Amino acid sequence: MKLLRKTHRMFKLHRIFIKQDLKKLMEYKIDFLTGAVGMLLTQIINIFFLSVIFSNIPDLDGYTFGQIIFIYGFALIPKAIDHLFFDNLWAIGYFIIRKGDFDKYLTRPVSTLFAVTVEKFQVDAFGELLVGILLLGWSIPQLTLNISALNIFLFIIAIFFATFIYTGVKLITSSIAFWTKRSGHIIYMFYMINDFAKYPTTIYNKAVRAVVTYIVPFAFTAFFPASYFIIGGNPWYNIGGTVVMSVILMAVGIFIWNKGVTAYESAGS
Amino acid sequence: MTRFVSTCHLLAVINRKTKLTEKEMKKLIYVENLKKEFKKTIKDPGLKGSIKSFFKPKNEIITAVKDISFHVDKGEVLGFIGPNGAGKSTVIKMLTGILTPTSGRCEINGKIPYKNRKNYVKEIGVVFGQRTQLWWDLALRETYTVLKEIYEVDDESYKKRMAFLNEVLELDDFITSPVRTLSLGQRMRADIAASLLHSPKVLFLDEPTIGLDVVVKDNIRKAIKAINSEENTTVILTTHDLQDVEDLCGRIVMIDKGSKVFDGKISDLKSRYGSSRELKFIPENPDSVKSLDFNKEFNLKSEDMAYENDGVTFSVRFNNDKIGVEKLLNYILSKTHVKDINVSDADIEEIIKGIYRSEVKLDA
Amino acid sequence: MRKIFRIYKPFTHAGVLLAAQYRANFYFFILGDILRCFINYFLWHAVFTSGGNKTFMGFSEVDMVVYIFISFLTSVLAYSDGSYAVGEEIRDGNIAMRMIKPIRFDLAFLFQELGERLITVTLIFVPLLVGVEIYKFVVTGAFAFNIVNFIIYIFSLILAYLICFYFNVCYGYSAFVLKNLWGANFLKDCIVGFLSGGVIPLAFLPPVISTILNILPFAALTYTPVMLYLGMYDVPTIIISFGLQIFWLIFFIILQQIIWNACVKRMSVQGG
Repeated sequence: MKLLRKTHRMFKLHRIFIKQDLKKLMEYKIDFLTGAVGMLLTQIINIFFLSVIFSNIPDLDGYTFGQIIFIYGFALIPKAIDHLFFDNLWAIGYFIIRKGDFDKYLTRPVSTLFAVTVEKFQVDAFGELLVGILLLGWSIPQLTLNISALNIFLFIIAIFFATFIYTGVKLITSSIAFWTKRSGHIIYMFYMINDFAKYPTTIYNKAVRAVVTYIVPFAFTAFFPASYFIIGGNPWYNIGGTVVMSVILMAVGIFIWNKGVTAYESAGS
Repeated sequence: MTRFVSTCHLLAVINRKTKLTEKEMKKLIYVENLKKEFKKTIKDPGLKGSIKSFFKPKNEIITAVKDISFHVDKGEVLGFIGPNGAGKSTVIKMLTGILTPTSGRCEINGKIPYKNRKNYVKEIGVVFGQRTQLWWDLALRETYTVLKEIYEVDDESYKKRMAFLNEVLELDDFITSPVRTLSLGQRMRADIAASLLHSPKVLFLDEPTIGLDVVVKDNIRKAIKAINSEENTTVILTTHDLQDVEDLCGRIVMIDKGSKVFDGKISDLKSRYGSSRELKFIPENPDSVKSLDFNKEFNLKSEDMAYENDGVTFSVRFNNDKIGVEKLLNYILSKTHVKDINVSDADIEEIIKGIYRSEVKLDA
Repeated sequence: MRKIFRIYKPFTHAGVLLAAQYRANFYFFILGDILRCFINYFLWHAVFTSGGNKTFMGFSEVDMVVYIFISFLTSVLAYSDGSYAVGEEIRDGNIAMRMIKPIRFDLAFLFQELGERLITVTLIFVPLLVGVEIYKFVVTGAFAFNIVNFIIYIFSLILAYLICFYFNVCYGYSAFVLKNLWGANFLKDCIVGFLSGGVIPLAFLPPVISTILNILPFAALTYTPVMLYLGMYDVPTIIISFGLQIFWLIFFIILQQIIWNACVKRMSVQGG
């Protein structure tokens, strides 16, 4: 009952903040529009790049253009959702801690992690989300998929937990700033590894494959779950792996975050 | 098994020891032997230095707060003063749950700030004069709607509360303007209102009048007074403006270099260290003061007598217990002709300046 | 000329210090970006393996790998923060302060950024270049470092940086209209990245588009220097490329001057 009340309150706060963010957006309309167009364009250029490649070869490492697009589109969705809700973690690494602005979250009667993330609703992410959904929509008719209730359920589960793989990686790397004052560059380096997930991991060598599967497990945000839907495979590994990795990363992330909060030194005198 | 029992026993002993006595329980704020150390990495200059410090970091421990104890009663307004870098903000940040103390205890209304943080902060309001908790890009009103939800204030209390805050802080003139367009004084009023929305028991104000003009400062002080008297809210404030202290605070705690150097009423401070007087005069002929030799005549230590000549005004600071005004006046008038002369009590500012410069010996 | 160096040397010095201070951060950012190069490397490796052809639209696998890494290196070295810097100055009103100082606005920025670039060069230029040459040696079994191509590349790279700088300064003035610059800069970086051949070689595009893009100033930023490094151009093409680079550089310098003069006029009339 208490948990229910708590979740209810969290959602209510989320709604209020989203409303505030949309109001803010109206203040900076041009900037938002150009930013969203930029996000959209980046993806379009990448797709164009893939289509140029496929105009000269029949398949890439055994994957057809449709399959590659499905994986690519799948990769964008959890990335966009994380981007939408947890974008403020970047600010933790870049300046919130360094400038001592973390103080204000500590004086609020909600968990610091919630207070930080709820504050920003990154609307730019809709560009990625839109492209991701369009790509899936375009590629699904080209593929022979087994669309069953179970698979739709697994799809939703996979997207949900894949999102928290992104969040977990950002959470762990941004928490480093509690000790080092800034960690934006570290978040960036690890976050960039997500690009590896957009293509079949079979194209990489063993070392890279091991890193993106077990160390910074972005392969579970796209290739593994997506390949379960397009070529089948063991759902316990492909989808279950996503769930397990996501839970591990979030648990480690929250643990480090909480340690970091007690080590937080504020700024100035 | 035996080991388990003995640990339990040990814990019980510690618990008993840390339990507060009846008398201490009456205090709203209870601080004992509070200490905070910061680790600072020392970097040698140059590329070589940063590589070295990457592999083998050299740390230096800086003690910002050494060992501070004090208590505050409900409804008190406590001034927390001290020179820059004395550790005022560090203490405030420990009391508000932002920093975790290295050792020592602090309990506010029976809660330990950094342990029961989420529960605890519902009972306090915090304003940092140099920072704002308002949402920069939005109309001021929006901040309050968000805070209402965060602190779970119900609609009716919110309405009442806003009416009260409006009356005290006069927010109506700018409540619909975006925060970034507010003047510094308006922003401070808005920030104080934001910290009071949830009717906290304790209000922490870290330099609430910094950078404000005289009139605005006065308004802010009036508002703080009103809040304290109408709601019996306990207020702890740090400031560099001693007018704030004289107007607002029944009691002050003064700290320097991380330690407490004074704790008591302002009147105590004055009567205890207020034997210092200042005599100023303007000589008819500036050269005539050359014949004055206070050292030879009175032979007092520099802490009991000091003088200064800026070419126009000659001022002598002296300890009234060691030398009477009359004696000093007679001596000066016997040597020079004066245009103007004036003797004054050292005001609080002078005393504090003296303590900061550690000229006044404290018998704490 | 010597006087210019004397006046603006402190700016370069400040730039060096600034960049040196953020060296560690810079390394992490670059590492993050190099990851993307490796993704492209594996992707193209798979393309050549799957396609079974020795060449892809005139590029061998070695050419492609060199293209990926050298185009990355070029885009990093020829990158300019000018538009952010100018945009910031406009937004916080500091641009007015520039007018009362007896130094040239553009040169002050330029020399500061040159100082920063100096550090960048020492940090990534040699490692990447040596890495690429070692790769070439391992794959082809022959040492094929062409000193002439390298020297031509360096000249072209310097021109590319200067064009990039003046283009960005011109673009930065758009802050007068667009106010908040994050989105506008992101969009610009995205478009310029594509048009300059940072994503794929312009030769892979349909011939008409490819020709047009080759003439536009963006090709001069990345594509031209990389093609020169690869030795893909014959002598007439090399001369034309340099001609185009010099033309665009002069074009943007003049454009920058015109906009600056207009700004000064506007500000002295309207008071900022």
